[in-house]
Amino acid sequence: MLVSDVMTRKVVAIGPDTPIRDVQALMEQRNIRHFPILQTRSSSEPDALIGIVSDRDVRLVGADHPRAPAGVTSADPISKLMVYPVLTAHPEDPIEETAKVLRENKIGAMPVMDEGRLVGIVTGIDMLDALVRMSGVYEAASRLEVEVANRPGALAELLRHVASRNVNVSSVMTTRGDPDTVSFILRVSTVDGHGLARYLRSQGFSVPWPPIPSTGQAAQGRGSADSDHVSADPVGGSDAKA
Amino acid sequence: MRGRATRFVYDPALAGFELAPDHPFKPLRFELTRTLLMATGLLGEADLVTARPMDDDLLLAVHDERYVAAVKSAATADASGRRAALAAYGLGSSDNPLFDGMHETIARVCAATVTAVDLVATGEALRATNFAGGLHHAMRDRASGFCIYNDLAVAIRRAVDHHGLRVAYVDLDAHHGDGVQWLFYDDPAVLTISLHESGRYLFPGTGNTYETGKDRGRGTAVNVPLEPFTEDESFLECFETIVPRALAWFSPDLIVLQAGADMHRFDPLADLWLSLDGMGRSYRRMVELADEYADGRLVVTGGGGYDPYQTVPRAWARAWVELTGTRLPDALPAEWRDEWGLRLGVDLPETSHEDPSTWPPAPRRDAITSRNRSVVERLVPTLEKIWNDSAVKGRA
Repeated sequence: MLVSDVMTRKVVAIGPDTPIRDVQALMEQRNIRHFPILQTRSSSEPDALIGIVSDRDVRLVGADHPRAPAGVTSADPISKLMVYPVLTAHPEDPIEETAKVLRENKIGAMPVMDEGRLVGIVTGIDMLDALVRMSGVYEAASRLEVEVANRPGALAELLRHVASRNVNVSSVMTTRGDPDTVSFILRVSTVDGHGLARYLRSQGFSVPWPPIPSTGQAAQGRGSADSDHVSADPVGGSDAKA
Repeated sequence: MRGRATRFVYDPALAGFELAPDHPFKPLRFELTRTLLMATGLLGEADLVTARPMDDDLLLAVHDERYVAAVKSAATADASGRRAALAAYGLGSSDNPLFDGMHETIARVCAATVTAVDLVATGEALRATNFAGGLHHAMRDRASGFCIYNDLAVAIRRAVDHHGLRVAYVDLDAHHGDGVQWLFYDDPAVLTISLHESGRYLFPGTGNTYETGKDRGRGTAVNVPLEPFTEDESFLECFETIVPRALAWFSPDLIVLQAGADMHRFDPLADLWLSLDGMGRSYRRMVELADEYADGRLVVTGGGGYDPYQTVPRAWARAWVELTGTRLPDALPAEWRDEWGLRLGVDLPETSHEDPSTWPPAPRRDAITSRNRSVVERLVPTLEKIWNDSAVKGRA
């Protein structure tokens, strides 16, 4: 997923001479938190990005607040408040890279520039939306956590076992515990997350979630149904039937 | 004068199929339940009603035309050539395998639930069941979670469009009733209520408290996600806090209960820890609530339930006796156990009840109870505010 997949294309940009009070009004009316500031150049060149302001900078003007900008009034031009140089993104930047830049610099948004031209803006909320989409949470699924050794091929092997059950994977997320293990969070499109977990455990995987279901009377009650789930030949399952 | 009877919709074809050998969803549960009730004398030939024929118009009122065409073609498909096309509809996975006659069979399940709704809507019966139904995960254009067509949605659509009724749908299956919820999410004539194990880990992952309906149907979806290992008392407490309030607000003409039996402690696919008695008490309350808020009109379907021999027949038999005001004998008929035991090679239960006092207590019972309680205590004011502001007005 790239910045161009998640950015807002209709950017409201303003000129450096815009009075701060006009920006305040625009911010409230349009519900916008970040304004790139563009300087017009000759007609053959695109407007230059010379700064950016956020809603916090603008709201503090004239406020009785220790961090209010000294000597600035709402009649002043926005150029008195703007921050520069501006960190920018490119439409083809991967979103994880963009998210990292936003967090490392503790900023809420970046203008997106392509060949010197402002083509969009990308915000922290866009990153969160992208993460939600990438997690596969909008698809009906069971969620499994599987711990594997941190070595080449471990994920491939896990997914090969999942595939052998003819279960579709809607997303894989990775978290790291100690340096020797990796936890994968799988979202799989099956109701029988327990059945898949049982199978993976039988193949030697560590599956911290879902929990092992209640046993006891159930073992007798479930009879053949239960043994079905741990049948020795998973490949002979649905493929052969269908 | 309206009939006071309870009817049991039955068709041998509803139990005589498999999705695949070894598939956890076993339609045979329906036949185990029926024969158990008949052997006890609590269900007679006179109580049975045959399912009406199915026509495509009823299916197409809920499902996408291309999807229905795909299902019809699935059993005859050239496996290699059409696999990818069918997979896009959720067909041909291990959960939803292709099987011979799948369209006809599942359409008949839908017809049976429609029949149950027709019986109650026309007043021929006060209550009716289709324990072969309850396929609550099926979506408009997608098979999901063992469900090809959504018989509940088809029957509810029929109740609203043909009979002009307002319908409250109550889903007690361990899994969120997502298909029915999304199909009626903006519909002011249908209230959906689902109590289920939290979707944090369990399929399908939805059913959060903040899913409350949208647009004209704002306030007409209610979700109670419960902690894994929730037991009877906490389940019933949450049920009592939410369900009567929602029904009182909405004032339905008809209640449809999805009585999936997978919230039982010994169900292998989910982690709720109810006993048969806890399930039976929730069924009894549904009968009472239908009497109170819907002139008694109640349609009950099956649903999940993956402990097919010990738990499901006893749970659904319990539902039937609650609907008919009768009681199961303590000892279940030996001929029923012997016949099925021999045919299936499994042990069937000897008694209608369990002894949960012999079960080890749930881990963290107090923490689970208090967490569930805090979920419903926060949900009530949220819902009441939405209901007050909602365009949907109950008639109460």
